Amino acid sequence: MGGFCSPKEYKFNQRINFCLVRGMEMLQYTIRRLIGMIPIIFLISVVVFTLAKLMPGDALSGKIDPLNSDPEYIEEMREQMGLNDPIPVQYVRWMSGVVQGDFGDSFVHKRPVMELIGDRLPNTIILGISALLITYLLAFLMGRYSGRFAYSMGDYLISAFNYLALAIPSFVAALVAIYIFAINLGWVPASGSIGSGVEAGTLEYYLSKAKHTVLPAIVLGAMATAAYTQFLRNDMIESSRKDYVRTARAKGTKESAIYNKHILRNSIIPIVTLLGFDIANLFGGAIITETIFTYPGIGYLFVESVNARDYSVMMAIAMMLTILTLIGNLVADLLYGLVDPRIRLS
Amino acid sequence: MEPSISQQTSPGLAEPVKPPKSQSPWALARRKFLRNKVAMVSLVFLLLVCAMSILAEPLTMPVEETAKINLTQMSKEPSAEHYFGTDKSGRDVFARTLHGGKTSLLLAFSITLAVITIGTLVGATAGYFGGWVDNALMRFTDFMMNFPFLLFVIVLKSIFIESSTGTLIFVISVLSWTGTARLVRSKVMAEKENEYIMSAVSIGCSAPKTIFKHLLPNVMSTIIVQATITLAAMIVAETGLSFLGFGVPINIPTWGNMLQEARSPDVLTSKWWIWIPPAAVLTFTILSINFIGEGLKDAFNPKSNR
Repeated sequence: MGGFCSPKEYKFNQRINFCLVRGMEMLQYTIRRLIGMIPIIFLISVVVFTLAKLMPGDALSGKIDPLNSDPEYIEEMREQMGLNDPIPVQYVRWMSGVVQGDFGDSFVHKRPVMELIGDRLPNTIILGISALLITYLLAFLMGRYSGRFAYSMGDYLISAFNYLALAIPSFVAALVAIYIFAINLGWVPASGSIGSGVEAGTLEYYLSKAKHTVLPAIVLGAMATAAYTQFLRNDMIESSRKDYVRTARAKGTKESAIYNKHILRNSIIPIVTLLGFDIANLFGGAIITETIFTYPGIGYLFVESVNARDYSVMMAIAMMLTILTLIGNLVADLLYGLVDPRIRLS
Repeated sequence: MEPSISQQTSPGLAEPVKPPKSQSPWALARRKFLRNKVAMVSLVFLLLVCAMSILAEPLTMPVEETAKINLTQMSKEPSAEHYFGTDKSGRDVFARTLHGGKTSLLLAFSITLAVITIGTLVGATAGYFGGWVDNALMRFTDFMMNFPFLLFVIVLKSIFIESSTGTLIFVISVLSWTGTARLVRSKVMAEKENEYIMSAVSIGCSAPKTIFKHLLPNVMSTIIVQATITLAAMIVAETGLSFLGFGVPINIPTWGNMLQEARSPDVLTSKWWIWIPPAAVLTFTILSINFIGEGLKDAFNPKSNR
């Protein structure tokens, strides 16, 4: 390009240039990864379908007239629903629906699976986002304190909490939380996602929703909170011995500014990259948490559908969560490349 | 190195003076571990839990007795007769906690053994041979990693409907070896660049011999630490699945199955003695395993000097 420009302008141009190149690189990488996912998703769909076919009983029992046990009638219904077709034919039929976003009907709820999932998904998303917010907020506050005042009384208390949170299984944590906060203290309800007789859209509605979500969200995020707190603390302690911190100190920078500006900014980065893994973990963890709190989300729906042998729902959720895991891993890699320019995406 | 000096016998005049024998990395690690108070207390606790679980029958009653429903003894509070009280079916909670520990720990140890074995074999093979072997094995590992663990264990468990604990071990193991395989692979890849491996190969050591005699002993510390992490995770997995009703059959006492009783609001609210004992033992067992793992990691790390 040449031309004359001030050093400031030059620096700015360089930065823009870098961002553009980096952006293109990431876009290319994302597209390549997404294309690479297609065969994996195909393989996963084969696995999910095979597993569903291997499960005892079939979709039939939920669909036909339960009072009519005439073998001829049953055979006729089987034929009609295509359950007598060869397995590959059934797979292709299922898959061609899936590609169009049609997972068939739920046998138990007698509704399209997508509608059912559409009803439950918002609850799980609210729960997941609340858990993430609580996790990152608590981990940030506790980690910052522990990192700055390492080996103090407060640090030891936080560490003790962390060790406990890492050791306690989520279902035990849920039981203890219900026992203390819902039953003994009565602060929040023990189950469900909304109070009875509350009208949608009112302030009361949102308050009730928040009250129902807070306890499962804390339980769901507890383990990650502890892990991130510890991570942030250790990273801050390590950073505080680095040269740039010594330089800042030598220049007479205030201690609070050193911690809040210099160290924290560097230490917060690795935690942000874990967000991608969180997505997959939260949905997986939701299976246990939602079941205990009878919180009507995807996880609880999954357990219900397995118990009721509601195959189409089960297959849809299994496919969805597996694809979410794939996307979560991609997000993690992208974030990693985003925050650390030294990492080449290839 | 005080101990090694004191061990030396005074050498005779004619004999050449041997330099004091330096301690092996294992001896160093052991010494460091033994001095780690938290890890040692945890180890003692874990051994105690294991011992009580193994001796469940002589200490309390045979397993068959713990399953017997006793209508005259329903939901009794803790007393001298029943240390932890009885549950809603009149079964002794103390005896069930010990027997439950036996099942839960045995399962977790078996799964850990399977997971570590599969993971090490796959990881070492991929890392040692490299090339297309590595490519194929790691592609497969990555593929297996995509399946959300809990979800697929539940699906697999409901396929094998009349399953024993054996199927549970199999199902969980199949889905959880991937992390170990990746870890071992990366360690093996770094380790095989050393000269001693090259010299082993150059004097004609076969691949299996090189891997098992030379490579694996040097990545053993990593594998051991990974095993403790896996053990804790597997206890959680088994109890969690049993709690949800997808684990060990309900008639066999395990910590997870015992905690399932707490799903009834009545037990959770007013009969704390039924669910607190297994919950507490479970949590503290995992806590102690975590501390032991951390202690081992510290002991194997030559850079840390605590």
